Amino acid sequence: MTTMDSPFLNKADSPAAPGRPSLGDRLDPLLERAGERLNPILVKEARQALKSKQFVVTFTLLLLCGWGWSLLGIAFLSPGVYYAPAGPFMLAGYYFVLAAPLLVVVPFAAFRSLAAEQEDGTYELVSITALSPRLIITGKLGSAVLQMIVYFSALSPCIVFTYILRGVDIFSIGLILFWTFMFSVGLSAVGLLFATASRSRNWQVLFSVVFLLALLLAGLLWSMAVIQILSAGGTPAYDQPDFWLAILAALTAYASFFVLILQAAAAQITFVSANRSTRLRITMAVQQLLWIGWVIYFWLRHPDDDAFFIMMMFPPFYWALVGALMTGETPQLSPRARRSLPQSFLGRAFLTWFNPGSGTGYAFTVANMFALALTVTIVGFVSHAYGFAGQPHDERWLAFAWMAVAYVAAYLGVGRLILLFMRRFVWGGLAMAFVIQVFVAAMGTILPFLVQLSALGVRFADEYTLIQTSNWAWTMYAILDKDIVGVDYFVYVIVPVFAGVVFVVNMILAAREVAAEREQTPQRVVEDELRLHPEKAPKPAGPQNPWDYDTAAEPATS
Amino acid sequence: MISSTPMIELRRLHRFFGTVRAVDDVSFEVYKGQVFGYIGPNGAGKTTSMRILATLDLPSYGDACVDGFSVVNDPERVRRRLGFMPDYFGTYPNVNCREYLDFFARSYGLAGKERQRALKRVMGFTKLDGLAEKPTRGLSKGMKQRLCLGRAMIHDPAVLILDEPAAGLDPRARIELRIMIRELAAEGKTILVSSHILTELAEMCDQVGIIEQGRLLAVGSVEEIQKAQRTHSDVKVRVLDGAAPLAVWLEQRSDVEQIAVEGELVHFSHQGDRRDEAALLREMVQAGYQIVEFGCKQKSLEDVFMQVTRGAVQ
Repeated sequence: MTTMDSPFLNKADSPAAPGRPSLGDRLDPLLERAGERLNPILVKEARQALKSKQFVVTFTLLLLCGWGWSLLGIAFLSPGVYYAPAGPFMLAGYYFVLAAPLLVVVPFAAFRSLAAEQEDGTYELVSITALSPRLIITGKLGSAVLQMIVYFSALSPCIVFTYILRGVDIFSIGLILFWTFMFSVGLSAVGLLFATASRSRNWQVLFSVVFLLALLLAGLLWSMAVIQILSAGGTPAYDQPDFWLAILAALTAYASFFVLILQAAAAQITFVSANRSTRLRITMAVQQLLWIGWVIYFWLRHPDDDAFFIMMMFPPFYWALVGALMTGETPQLSPRARRSLPQSFLGRAFLTWFNPGSGTGYAFTVANMFALALTVTIVGFVSHAYGFAGQPHDERWLAFAWMAVAYVAAYLGVGRLILLFMRRFVWGGLAMAFVIQVFVAAMGTILPFLVQLSALGVRFADEYTLIQTSNWAWTMYAILDKDIVGVDYFVYVIVPVFAGVVFVVNMILAAREVAAEREQTPQRVVEDELRLHPEKAPKPAGPQNPWDYDTAAEPATS
Repeated sequence: MISSTPMIELRRLHRFFGTVRAVDDVSFEVYKGQVFGYIGPNGAGKTTSMRILATLDLPSYGDACVDGFSVVNDPERVRRRLGFMPDYFGTYPNVNCREYLDFFARSYGLAGKERQRALKRVMGFTKLDGLAEKPTRGLSKGMKQRLCLGRAMIHDPAVLILDEPAAGLDPRARIELRIMIRELAAEGKTILVSSHILTELAEMCDQVGIIEQGRLLAVGSVEEIQKAQRTHSDVKVRVLDGAAPLAVWLEQRSDVEQIAVEGELVHFSHQGDRRDEAALLREMVQAGYQIVEFGCKQKSLEDVFMQVTRGAVQ
């Protein structure tokens, strides 16, 4: 509404007289321009939310519960509330009130929002607009964030009130609310990923139930942890650099996983012929660098052998998981994806592994594990040689690091070979690949255990022997527990040699993927691109940088 | 006038779902300003082909192009040129007509005055101006259909793909929709429309394609297909002085069958084209029969459809 015909307004006397636009009038076009830049999904969802019963009911309940707790809490604490610090007690109550919509309602609404679009068919209509999958996902997430902000603002007077009641400092309140907000945003992102996992109605129903239960559990655990912190009292070590460094490390971990989840969700709804893998792989590589960087930093700060184990403990599981999915990618590159393949020697040598494909995915996983183990080895020896840290007490970490590489390479490789064989008869995507990998990993541990049990009897069932060579879980535990002695040392030969053979076989089979060459962009596309973006004139033919050159500039031959 | 580059082109399109050949080697072209009617029984492969053209599905083999861009390799460029109206409405709860169209206008990258103009144009064309503030889920079927047509054309695409747009509409709404489609074609839009109401398609389409079990059985203008399928025509002759002698005379001919006498009328099935019919009439007159009425029933699109298809489903 831009004009007001109120009898109570005298336009001549008002400060907004003609010739002197008011602040509102000046802000209007700015806001309008800002509104044009907003994500369309966010605009639509905000309009819907304001009219939806779910939002009205949740918001009203939040306000009522907030007011209710204000009265109840004060009644509980009276008359002590006048002289004793009552902040933590009141904050705990308000926190529970806020946690329900933030940790359950909003993430579930984000999940349902996308799932419902897929069920109703509206997603298809949106997917053929100019909105990219990333914009669709971020729009949905933005809508969730907007709701969170509304809930936060509704309860903010109550939270300020807890600070006035004393007993809890402003930093602690801020940190608790900040991490709760981040947790809620993270859960919403996971919800969106869940929503993209399947378009089948039956699966969506199952996901709804599983996700809701997971949210309830996560919300409960998180809230209990917060209450524990509040009831423990005391002031966190704000003056300690390590405290803030730990916060920063946690933030980088959060940010990298958050981006990975969003990328994965966007990849799930990206058109099949597009490149859905490269962005994910870049994110994974960055995540690996962040991990290495932080672990090395903390190790230099507090030199301890355990740092090496910490550094190698988490990544094998991570890479086995993402590797199991990457090996399930289709080995054929679409002509569209081929248009952006690296061309130069350097580009092909280092960037080919970021291309979509089962074989490149396997190689990418093994290369990352290899790089990690190499880093651990170099850091371990060089830091000692240059006096950054003392001599590591034993070399178990070295064996642990390289055996982890060998097991990941061997298991993923065998799983991939089985997958390739099965695909000759029946086509299966990521889900089939994942199931095969899990099956192979499980059989690799269960079978040798059963064989040992039947061969040596119950008496020697808990004794590590060479029979357990394929049992990655027991072998890794035995390395840590110094349980590998005598002839069992052969495990250090058998596993890496087997892994090497499996790796070579896989690489031979992946030759077609690696040998794929860039396809020229059709002239029609080049012309259309120039019409749309005349500022992006084609670059002159020839190498643009050592990594690549743009063949799109060259006219197509067909 | 037909331009040289087809706006819609299907090149040996195949789509398999397991062992089912939903679309089996389908090829055709539609040029600028043409309305192409896609006809086939349920499960024939119409919607599958349309979904591939709308970049919602990928072909197993072959390709489809819109304005020269492949739906497989350049879906974004195809989407800019294409408006798709599926056989479902796809409306949102708690959204009114204006907000609905505004959302899609934004999604197609229209901003500011350009978006306002697009909204005004579309709401005017579909006659939704008076219902701008009405919730989309409270609209009648006919109004929803208009809204969906508006959504499909909000970004002023050169190509429109309409899957069963007249399904479930009352006669008045169907006629209005037909007029809209003709108007859009007159503006130069290329339209691919599927429908079960064949008489309507015959009236509004420049070309039709008949598909069954994933295979394109006939393609061309309605007249061309009728001509191609014209092996028999139903002939009605009114003759003075009794129809029985004429029936006897006709029975001796090899190109006539299924003769029936009804008072002065003789009905029969004649094999041949229009020239053969004219020759037959001439022979009857020369044989001395006093013919006062001679009529050949034109085969409707429905007759052709029934003749071409076998009613098989997969």
